[in-house]
Amino acid sequence: MQLVDAELQESRQVLPGQWLQQYHAPALAVSARAGQFVHLRTGDWSGLVLRRPFTINTADPATGAISLHFREVGRGTAWLSRLRPGERIDMLGPLGQGFQVDSRSRHLLLVAGGLGIADLRLLVDEALRDGRQVVLLYGCRDASEVYPSSLLPDEVEYLVATDDGSVGHRGFVTDLVLDYEAWADQAFACGPLPMLRTLAGLVAGRKGRLGVATLGRKRGGGRSVPPGSPAARKKAFLQVAMEQNMGCAVGACLGCVIWGVNGPQRVCREGPVFAFDEIDWDATAGAATHKR
Amino acid sequence: MKAKKRVVTYGKGVPPSRGAASSPAPKTHRTPTVRTIRSAIVEPRSAPPPRPASSAARPVGQPVAGPARSAVDLSVDLGRGLVLRNPILVASGTFGYGVEYADVVDIQRIGAICCKGTTLRPRQGNRPPRVTETPGGMLNSIGLQNPGVDAVLERYATQWAGWQVPVIVNVAGESIEDYVGVVRKLDLVPGIAGVELNISCPNVGKGGLQFAIDQEAAAAVTRAVRRATELPLIVKLSPNVADIRPIAAAIAAAGADALSAVNTLSGMALRADRSGPFLGNTYGGLSGPAIKPVALRIVYEVAQVVDIPVIAIGGVTGLDDVLDYLAAGAVAVQVGTAIFADPTLPVRLVDQLATECGRRGLASYELLIGTALPTRPNAASSKGVEYRP
Ligand code: FES
Repeated sequence: MQLVDAELQESRQVLPGQWLQQYHAPALAVSARAGQFVHLRTGDWSGLVLRRPFTINTADPATGAISLHFREVGRGTAWLSRLRPGERIDMLGPLGQGFQVDSRSRHLLLVAGGLGIADLRLLVDEALRDGRQVVLLYGCRDASEVYPSSLLPDEVEYLVATDDGSVGHRGFVTDLVLDYEAWADQAFACGPLPMLRTLAGLVAGRKGRLGVATLGRKRGGGRSVPPGSPAARKKAFLQVAMEQNMGCAVGACLGCVIWGVNGPQRVCREGPVFAFDEIDWDATAGAATHKR
Repeated sequence: MKAKKRVVTYGKGVPPSRGAASSPAPKTHRTPTVRTIRSAIVEPRSAPPPRPASSAARPVGQPVAGPARSAVDLSVDLGRGLVLRNPILVASGTFGYGVEYADVVDIQRIGAICCKGTTLRPRQGNRPPRVTETPGGMLNSIGLQNPGVDAVLERYATQWAGWQVPVIVNVAGESIEDYVGVVRKLDLVPGIAGVELNISCPNVGKGGLQFAIDQEAAAAVTRAVRRATELPLIVKLSPNVADIRPIAAAIAAAGADALSAVNTLSGMALRADRSGPFLGNTYGGLSGPAIKPVALRIVYEVAQVVDIPVIAIGGVTGLDDVLDYLAAGAVAVQVGTAIFADPTLPVRLVDQLATECGRRGLASYELLIGTALPTRPNAASSKGVEYRP
């Protein structure tokens, strides 16, 4: 974790109201892992007192560039979208625990709802670099919000579901999961809470019969690991990236908790990535985040 | 209540020059006096050890203070032997246990760290969401999540004992026995420099009425804790009261070594669709620049009715805020919410305060204290009521 003075290199609107910005921040580009985030300070004039967390969308150690993908939803993101190339911004990062891919996993299933794609995008790059196969399922409202395939590497199998059926499958992205759950060794998801909850329910119903858990059993079974431990998380069939309002983002204020089966969990420190069975989904349902 | 005149004692050394146009005129009638209690300002000590040559990442564009600062005495005595190297503290709840920000902040340069609120038994805290931003501030309703005093001591006390920066443990409870129980465990533990009582908690023994808004309960808990420990004792005042002065005076009389003012203001926010309260706990505490005028008023009032040091808390985001609070009678300040946006601010404020003193030709920052307080005890503005509708 460090404080970095990052320079905006490129900013463009990739979808209506959604921005993709590239920053020069070599220290972050080298150390960032998929699922980690930066805590970004908005301009002083704005009267905004809190930083804003953004997942690191991509990171390129070779060029020292990282990118952020966000939707303009409040005054902070509005300010950010108006930054010009050459302007500099204060970032704290990389923060939190990223996705953990089990070394035995060859087939990764990624499930993104809307802007949740930003949390999974770097995982696509890391998985392909490590020679894994990736299927990305993406769900959104309609054709206007479909993530452009030009922003994805060619090697990814990319399937879309829209609520109105204007592109791809008509219905929920979680419908598509059934076709791939047998193929996948591990699944990783980010998106609206109802989507994550559906996925978690689906996986919980088949616990022990999916993914690397099955691989482990084929090899005679592994030692049991305590649930909620890093080892357990790494072996979990489904890992989810969670969202919560944040204060400090370094674990100091306890403002960002969600409810886990073992009590409060800090999204900024224990998360933002959790195994699906670490989270108390009933207690987490209906949680709101503010317009950042 | 009759307002007492605050007396600022002058340290040894050359009287400061009053040449700068911005300096207030000397108040010759305010004769340097030895107070019955120990002065809030200690005399210049040997220079603090030089700071390490390199510090963690510093936001670009933040000037490092000039050489003048090493010559300025910033030390402050909060009573009972709790002497800080400088008057910039970090507020409870915003800095965890001091370890969380260590990667990016040279924490040893901070005057003192007030750690997260600590209770006798572990607490899980309130349901999320717990924080949200508001205009010029934020609301929080953490609900005193903490692992309990035993776990806190086990995890951190040894580390704290090795630190240069004093750690003041913020203590909370729901009964006088709770507070006393925690403080007994802290007493005589190496690494604990002092105690700050959070009395903005519901008092189960009095039907959930907060200690902080009940003059007798506030005094009773202070007295009980005072008997239980020899540790320096700071009591943190709540702003959510009609008149703070009798409460502050009662706490001081009950044996507190210092007061900190203020805790957060009670507030709330709604969900975006207005279907209900936003925070899981409905109510939250407001902090940040939005509350500074309220905190400044309370510091100004409290400083006139007590003879013990007052530590200001509320919306400090820069040197001007520090100077305001000092002028209003505080001897030190705590930085809180601003740390989230600007973790290196407390350390920079130390440098900036020293530089400011150097620029004004002051050997110590003590002459900045109380300059805005009324000079006549019975001046109309010290009654503190006429601006209340
Ligand atoms: S945001 Fe402060 S603990 Fe997570």
